[in-house]
Amino acid sequence: MLNTIWVVMIFAGVITGIFTGRMGEISNAVLQSCINSVNLVITMLGSMCLWSGLMKTAQKAGLVNSLAKLLKGVFRFLFPGIPKDHPANGAIAMSISADLLGLGNAATPLGIMAMKELSNVNNDSTVASNAMVMFGVVNAACIQLIPSTVLIIRQQAGSSNPSSVIPCIWVASFISLVSGITAAKFLEKFNLSKG
Amino acid sequence: MIFMSFISDFSIPAVILIIVLVAYLKGVPVFDVFIEGAKDGAKTAFNILPTMVGIIAAVSIINASGLIDILTNLISKPLSLIGIPSETAPILLIRPFSGSASLGIFSEQIKTYGADTYIGRVLSTIMGSSETVLYTIAVYFGATNVKDTRHAVAASLISSYIGMLASIYICKIL
Repeated sequence: MLNTIWVVMIFAGVITGIFTGRMGEISNAVLQSCINSVNLVITMLGSMCLWSGLMKTAQKAGLVNSLAKLLKGVFRFLFPGIPKDHPANGAIAMSISADLLGLGNAATPLGIMAMKELSNVNNDSTVASNAMVMFGVVNAACIQLIPSTVLIIRQQAGSSNPSSVIPCIWVASFISLVSGITAAKFLEKFNLSKG
Repeated sequence: MIFMSFISDFSIPAVILIIVLVAYLKGVPVFDVFIEGAKDGAKTAFNILPTMVGIIAAVSIINASGLIDILTNLISKPLSLIGIPSETAPILLIRPFSGSASLGIFSEQIKTYGADTYIGRVLSTIMGSSETVLYTIAVYFGATNVKDTRHAVAASLISSYIGMLASIYICKIL
């Protein structure tokens, strides 16, 4: 998937560059982009450490389990058909709490584990179950309590109050989440197979 | 408004304090565990670097070639007719498809427009409230036997675009 997107991006860019006569700019931009990537990663390095460390601490303190219990009622509605004591419940809770803390990269392995458990409930079929689609949608629309990457970039860009957008982000995420859940619940009634 | 800035000032310190304090009271060796997790974070950050270089290089080609400008010009007129600022067109175009690409565009744009302007706040809200839909769906379902993801991509894109469009109006109110 990313293979195709990558080639299409480079192809479209270079072909456009030929017509707009900006090949020189493209050469410079490619070399500069390598430096920019390293700067971006160095900037993110510290906060990645901070939040991964805190996430691990929250796990060890049992805060993750408490969250799973707290979310139990919501799970009943979003993911019907999962047996009560199936490991899928804990896996989903872990993944969603990692998402909440804004640890996209720490959340991915947990999300994959949860999806495997949901697939197991679905008898490892090649067709996704409603619960699996819902889990994918909830993850793709997930609310971050603290969007750390955005805050760091705002700070770097000279914001006088980087965290002032947090309330806006919460409201927007919530709207996105509710519309995602609604869309998934609505679309699951139709047979949208793409083969 | 005072309440909102209270929340945004308090959220980070409060989350840190609660995690650390609860863990400490439960007898977790907090600092050791923190360092253990932080090491994973450092590894993840370094693992991202090659992906970043690849994607940001491709995005820089597109940007320098003027393609994004051409596409943006094509859609910004229709967008501004329905009250969507044309400055948000590039991020609206690319956000659901590439996380690193939209991060690159975001960090460039926020320097150009200023972090505390209306546009800067809208861009931040879009970035903070949306996810790379295609990547998430591909990676999550890729780990299972599923060949037919049914309505997963459609529902996620609907959710993503409603959230992004809502950001534009939310930043006017809050």
